[in-house]
Amino acid sequence: MNLRNASILTLTLCAAWFTGCQSAPRVGSQKKLMAIITPSHDNPFFKAEADTAAARARELGYEVTVNSHDDDAHKQDKLIDVAIANGAAAIVLDNAGADASVAAVQKAKSAGIPTFLIDREINATGVAVSQIVSNNYQGATIGALEFLRLLGEKGKYIELVGRESDTNAAIRARGYHDVLDKYDTLKQVGRQSANWSQTEAFQKVETMLQSNRDIQGVIAANDTMALGAVAALKNAGLEKVIVVGLDGSPDAIASIKAGGMRATVLQPAATISRLAVDQAHKYITTGSTGASEKQAIDCELVTPANAAQYGLFGRN
Amino acid sequence: MLNSRQARWGGIGTQLFRLRALIVLFVLAAAFAALSPAFLTAGNLTILVKHVAINAILALGMTFVILSGGIDLSVGSVAGLAGIVAGGLIHSGLILRAFGIVIYFHTWLVVLIALLAGALAGAINGGLVAHLRVAPFIATLGTLYVARGTALLISNGATFPDLAGRPELGNTGFLWLGAGRMLGLPVPIWLMVACAGLGALVAARTPFGRRVYAVGGNERAAELSGVRVSRIKFAVYVISGLCAALVGVIIAAQLGAAHPATGETFELNAIAAVVLGGTSLMGGRGSVGGTIIGAFVIGVLADGLILLGVSEFWQTVIKGLVIVLAVILDQMQQRYSRRAAATRS
Amino acid sequence: MSKAVLEAREVSLQYPGTLALDGVTFRLRAGRVSALIGENGAGKSTLVKVLGGVESPTRGSLLLDGEPIALRSVRDADSLGIGMIHQELNLCPNLSVAENIFLARELTTHGLLDSTAQHHRAEALLARLEHPIDPEALVGDLPLGQQQIVEIAKALARDVRVLMMDEPTSALSPAEIAILFRIIRDLTARGVAILYISHRLEELLEIADEVAVLRDGRLVAESEARVIDTRWIVEQMTGRTSAVTDKGPQAPAQAEILRAEGLSLVSASGKVVLQNASFSLRAGEILGFYGLMGAGRTELVECVMGLHQNASGSVVLNGQCLDGQATSSRISAGLALVPEDRQGAGLVQTLSVCGNMTLASLRQCTRGGWLLPGLEQAAAGKLVTDLHIRTAGIQQNIGSLSGGNQQKVVLAKCLLTSPRVLLLDEPTRGVDVGAKREIHEIVRKLAESGMGIIVVSSELEEMLAVADRIIVLSRGVITAEFDARQATGAALATAASVQPELEAGTRQC
Repeated sequence: MNLRNASILTLTLCAAWFTGCQSAPRVGSQKKLMAIITPSHDNPFFKAEADTAAARARELGYEVTVNSHDDDAHKQDKLIDVAIANGAAAIVLDNAGADASVAAVQKAKSAGIPTFLIDREINATGVAVSQIVSNNYQGATIGALEFLRLLGEKGKYIELVGRESDTNAAIRARGYHDVLDKYDTLKQVGRQSANWSQTEAFQKVETMLQSNRDIQGVIAANDTMALGAVAALKNAGLEKVIVVGLDGSPDAIASIKAGGMRATVLQPAATISRLAVDQAHKYITTGSTGASEKQAIDCELVTPANAAQYGLFGRN
Repeated sequence: MLNSRQARWGGIGTQLFRLRALIVLFVLAAAFAALSPAFLTAGNLTILVKHVAINAILALGMTFVILSGGIDLSVGSVAGLAGIVAGGLIHSGLILRAFGIVIYFHTWLVVLIALLAGALAGAINGGLVAHLRVAPFIATLGTLYVARGTALLISNGATFPDLAGRPELGNTGFLWLGAGRMLGLPVPIWLMVACAGLGALVAARTPFGRRVYAVGGNERAAELSGVRVSRIKFAVYVISGLCAALVGVIIAAQLGAAHPATGETFELNAIAAVVLGGTSLMGGRGSVGGTIIGAFVIGVLADGLILLGVSEFWQTVIKGLVIVLAVILDQMQQRYSRRAAATRS
Repeated sequence: MSKAVLEAREVSLQYPGTLALDGVTFRLRAGRVSALIGENGAGKSTLVKVLGGVESPTRGSLLLDGEPIALRSVRDADSLGIGMIHQELNLCPNLSVAENIFLARELTTHGLLDSTAQHHRAEALLARLEHPIDPEALVGDLPLGQQQIVEIAKALARDVRVLMMDEPTSALSPAEIAILFRIIRDLTARGVAILYISHRLEELLEIADEVAVLRDGRLVAESEARVIDTRWIVEQMTGRTSAVTDKGPQAPAQAEILRAEGLSLVSASGKVVLQNASFSLRAGEILGFYGLMGAGRTELVECVMGLHQNASGSVVLNGQCLDGQATSSRISAGLALVPEDRQGAGLVQTLSVCGNMTLASLRQCTRGGWLLPGLEQAAAGKLVTDLHIRTAGIQQNIGSLSGGNQQKVVLAKCLLTSPRVLLLDEPTRGVDVGAKREIHEIVRKLAESGMGIIVVSSELEEMLAVADRIIVLSRGVITAEFDARQATGAALATAASVQPELEAGTRQC
């Protein structure tokens, strides 16, 4: 009996807490609020994305909340509820799933709050005001073209693909192969998934080298795996093998500067974030962004020649 | 007449069952050798053993925990944390903002601190399980998250790159732990040999080892025999934490970089190696040697399938099937030896 | 005399190492209460298991209404109307009273649980038992006595023709026992055959119509209950008319080696388990503790060993106060316990014979911190010889030994710690007659060598044969003390059935 009473009490308290949160619109504040919601900041990419958006919004005179949904659509939904309750002027969102996020964005729209999607699209149009994404396919093709150029259009190479269930892993692999498969002089001698992980890429490249010590290149679907490959090749005394990655992470750019990786493709997270905040500001002040809903921002190639110009997912 | 023949066949059957993990290992190795000319080369075998070393050291610590009747889910996270601690101390040093100074430690001191971090995580597990009587599954699951989160906090989610150290700071030589060689073999292999040798001796030839078996076999009987059960339980988690930390240091040294996500799902591979090696998840039965063989089975399977170019999906399916098969064999052996004991009496 | 409902004819059951039942013929008659009496290990519980379908007899047959039947499982017995109330409660603490009563017999409508019907039926059953327990209460929340009532209700919920009760009153208060007896009378009036097992002899004579005595797996005597008394029962149980034993001359009195003062223990559920028990033991003396189930015998030796943190009282060993010390320290100080529950607390099943023997004395087998197999084997090997442990080898699995030899292994483990005082809790339970005699001899030799020994037993014969002095416990209180030379089985049995006055304030409400 006591136990039951206690749990009822707890539930009531929880409910009160939630209601308390939600029914406290920021009336005292003169500034308008911009809510920024991204995946976990574990990943420097998303951290850079959120930091840039927050900085730009503050520059434009907004109050800012920054939250992470940890790729959990349910948590994202709650964060959007909170944004609605707080009376946000706009939401900048790197969403938690192309299908799972549609309803949440629609809810914000119905509450009169415009949403500006960054980095990933949702499977619906007319719900968000803008969907600004980096062009993964284009990024993969320019990476593959640079890989091709560095190899002199011939030789043997290994491909490291991402977690095979991720959409981006498939898009990036398609971009690579649409370029590389046209050349009969190039031969793929190994292809393994390293699940985006550095340790796994290290071990798998070491093993694949056992039957193919004569490779000239390794192309990886992200920079983390590329860095694992660089470490494995260095251990094997094969520093001359060309390694190309994708993402443009600070570690990869540092590796390029130090002569490890030869190239990466920078996803312009900073550009996208800034653009989304600017469009949100324009929409709030004028009622229109002046741009179409779907916007794909091209990725940029980073090589030893231009590496010095790049910082955290953007040009310095 | 009939009985003696039965007994003889029974004896051979029992022996075969006892060596089942070893047999599985040889069958796999023979199959891969036949299918890939690169498999049986000195270079490949060295790489393979080096890969096995990671899981074997983790599984070694896990063996002690499982023998005592517990489980340690936190080993992967603790490995990640120890790697970040080592990487951070070498790359950025210990930053004391209040005094405005940065302290760089000597490489060996860095390794020692990383190992102590692992031991501390193990001590937290041990304290929760032995003294606060939290179920091991829950206690170490909590530590799994706390250790991972701590690693992310320390590094702010980023990687600590370039762990070669700088001569002017006196912290070079860290990479030797991962990439160096002694007598022609990579250092991680020597570390595994040393740990496995020590672990096997401790398990089989010390009062501590025997008490771990006793606690896992029958905690109450052990207590009544004067075994300080909570001390033993505490100690096995500290051992597991130390092993995990060593693995984290080795990985960071191999990659020359410390990443906070290192070691995700490593705990499952470690548990699989222990189970493949014939150690009972109920505790009290098993051996360090079996665990090392189990780690080899998993390692040979993983590297062999990569050499053959088998897709990731099939690799996962095959690994699962081998584990289930090994456990079925284990069950059959237990039933078999019980029946043998019954007919004897 | 009414006809036999259930009959066991020439039933034998062979366990590995022991013949638990040896050609027993036993009948249960409609409307009669048959009491089954015997010491621990005499075969009572085994016979009940055979009649209840838990065990299949090696030889012999079972007849229901004169027709041979084969019981392969408890379900078989259940479907034939044979019900059983176990000594250990078979209830799920996480389910409600009603759910337990109808477990595996759930009342359903259209395949769905009919909780309302179950609730009402359970309520009616409990009302009949004069215990209006809430059918929705969780069984785990009930005190032990009420759980026992639920167990009885569970048996009554099935329409039984035969009901077997194994020590049903061990957790009941006198008032609850009176209700149970009314229920039994009610059932017999309706023609149900009752099998009743209890160690409390007065209680037996009150409820039973006929009495059968088992000794060492054989049925040794049967009688109408109204023509016999406790003396007759004790004589049949122990197989002797006189309690005088052929022990050697009393050893000369030596110095006190162990003293316990005011040992008290209250269980987690608030029940007084042990109250203010004090005693003293001299070197070379064998002190026996006798009592019925639930008298606090086991808890007494456990308190001496420091196994109950919440126990109060003081223990002094050889002038050294042990209060507040952990079990391991008490073992180092010179105490050793052979526990009652051999499988659960005595042996580590995953270790070998040798590993079990040396477990408590591993330090003696080390040099420089390393265990030396040679030293271990020498230590274990010596005791295998000394105690005549029959094993194919000391590296054998402990499970391959017979019960008696397993018990000797536990004893050997204790002896390897060189104890000053040895505590033996039911040292011969589940052990065959030969091993029992050997264990008694070993115990006497140890006492002669100057060790102080405490033997806890619920067997009268064992008490009288082994102990120099006997203390009797009843419901947690010391009720009598005898010099073993003057003690008789009847006197011990009477002292063990005394209802002691519990001190005010400690009695459970």
